[in-house]
Amino acid sequence: MKARLMRSEDLAMLVNAIRRRGYEVVAPFCNKGRDTYYDTVTDENIGRVRLHVPNPYYPPKRFVLPPIERLLRVKRANGAYDIQATYEAPKRAIFGIRSCDVAGIYHLDRFYLGREFPDTYYARRRRELLLVNVVCTNAELDISDACFCVCTDTGPAARDHFDLQLMDLGAGELLAVAGSSAGEALFEEPIFTRAAQEHVERRRQILSEVRKRFKTTTCWFSATVRYVSQGSVPERTWEEIGNRCLECGGCTYVCPACTCFTVSDRPTGRDEIERVRIWDSCALGGFTRMAGGHNPRKSVHDRRNRRFFRKLAHYFIQRELSMACVGCGRCAAVCHGDVGMPSVVEMIRRAAALEEKIEPVPADGR
Amino acid sequence: MGVNGKITVAAEGRGVLDGAIPGPVENVYMPKLAVLDGVQDEIAEVKTFYWHFVDAAEQAKFRAFRPGQFAQVSLFGVGEFPASLPPSPTEDELFFTVRNVGSCTAALHALKPGEIFGVRGPYGNGFPMEQYYGRNLVFVAGGIGLIPLRSCIVYAMAHRERYGRLQVFYGARTPSDLMYVRDLKAWEESAGLECHVTVDRPADGWKGNVGVVGSLLKKPGINVAVANSTAFVCGPPVMFRFAIKDLLQLGFAERDIVSTLERYMKCGVGKCGHCCIGVAYVCVDGPVFTYEQIKKLGEDI
Repeated sequence: MKARLMRSEDLAMLVNAIRRRGYEVVAPFCNKGRDTYYDTVTDENIGRVRLHVPNPYYPPKRFVLPPIERLLRVKRANGAYDIQATYEAPKRAIFGIRSCDVAGIYHLDRFYLGREFPDTYYARRRRELLLVNVVCTNAELDISDACFCVCTDTGPAARDHFDLQLMDLGAGELLAVAGSSAGEALFEEPIFTRAAQEHVERRRQILSEVRKRFKTTTCWFSATVRYVSQGSVPERTWEEIGNRCLECGGCTYVCPACTCFTVSDRPTGRDEIERVRIWDSCALGGFTRMAGGHNPRKSVHDRRNRRFFRKLAHYFIQRELSMACVGCGRCAAVCHGDVGMPSVVEMIRRAAALEEKIEPVPADGR
Repeated sequence: MGVNGKITVAAEGRGVLDGAIPGPVENVYMPKLAVLDGVQDEIAEVKTFYWHFVDAAEQAKFRAFRPGQFAQVSLFGVGEFPASLPPSPTEDELFFTVRNVGSCTAALHALKPGEIFGVRGPYGNGFPMEQYYGRNLVFVAGGIGLIPLRSCIVYAMAHRERYGRLQVFYGARTPSDLMYVRDLKAWEESAGLECHVTVDRPADGWKGNVGVVGSLLKKPGINVAVANSTAFVCGPPVMFRFAIKDLLQLGFAERDIVSTLERYMKCGVGKCGHCCIGVAYVCVDGPVFTYEQIKKLGEDI
């Protein structure tokens, strides 16, 4: 991977260089307090593009998988049908995507483009997408109370799957790393200068420093992967989790790695319908309900069990070579019952400690 | 079950994952137009729908399906549902047998011959009929569970010399709930296959067996082939549980009992997530599983 140096005051010039290459650039903008949102960069708002902002609550997943996406348009005339697939794949760059969300998009890539049936709607959008990752180095602005990418091994600095990565070295300097040929092509811009070994060393120092600034470290995360994979989480722990779930589906909608959708036909005119896919959620009671009413996953704790099994079971991690949890902490922020990933990891740890009577190890190691 | 995490590698790619994002790929969600040819009543609320693809090339491609696979059926403006394929690929006609149970199936039931709907597929793994060459096949079906198994039975009959004994054990609630009566009659009269039928509640004039389908397996005079046999089980959940218990008691190994599972599905191609049971996406990892696999899915069926 090639690295270059740039001045942080030239940030807007970099954004404009990407826009000049024909990309619609979306970037996180600040609203009130810690509220931020992705919006398209224009000549008017480009002055408000910042390097350090809290990660938007609503993930960038929608740029590859819109909440509602039309698949087909079907017209009926004289008893005959005309079916047209409708594609929308703008050339788009996400500027300032956080490392956790880079991992989220990578997981979606593995899922939607993998196995027997690659998804053409996803592939078309994905091919046109450029990712400019910003490393979270500002403990106040970049890192929230719920962030735990250090546990899922997805951050604070993504190792790959970005086109360009920017990291604040302080003193008005940014280290830019190219992760793809498209990212490297941006180094032609005059804002970039050569980076020295000293800058790479500074990057390493900052990263080891920032790792200590995370407030939520779910130290039992990898053990939870093991417990969930083995199916050794006690049933009553799932019940405890299920009892706290309000079945709102919020966790799945803010999750950068959740993939499920439903499909619906709706009229768009006389003799004209469209078939759309809509984000769906395993938290909702009807998710597995079949015609006729039989529902194999009726109880809420079975559905919660499902969510965490799908995210953490070793089988899926091995199959997809990517985990469906990226440590962004959004589920912890959205959940009214506080059964987001960090809490669930803690509940499983507590249950395992009770179940297996794990005694604390004495300090002197006896 | 395939464990396959491979991403299709395209010749050209750009951006992240250089080369790993596939180029133009087939739209797997695109239904192909089909014409309804005729409708046959089976039992109350269950009909068989004969159909063909508008495009002859699609018809030829589709006909290479395997017993146990399924298709996604589109009723435009209403939606799509998964339907098993009761015909055997050795037969000429394509048809679905569908119970009127929800909005999409109701729309299919309302369709008239000559009208157009959509079909895509075939999907799923299907029964590995080649793996069973030289073995005895024991079919245990309850109610409309005979729909997917019909394909295997007809297939095995068409390749009679490749298999050992063929036995069909079929049960329904009442005589009027018996599916495919014309097939049952032919099977009962056939020399190549032993067909035993039972009903839970007899009606006037019923001279056959009475009792649940499991009772047939233990009935004096009936000799279930256990050694070198594969048992196919399909039926409602209660029947499934008891039939499995009976077969295990008879000495069947868990890996020699196969079934086909049913789930709510929206895509049929492993993406929408509705049909998952534990580690399996029923649409692509199944719908056919051995009982040994079913027990290891990590979630109750």
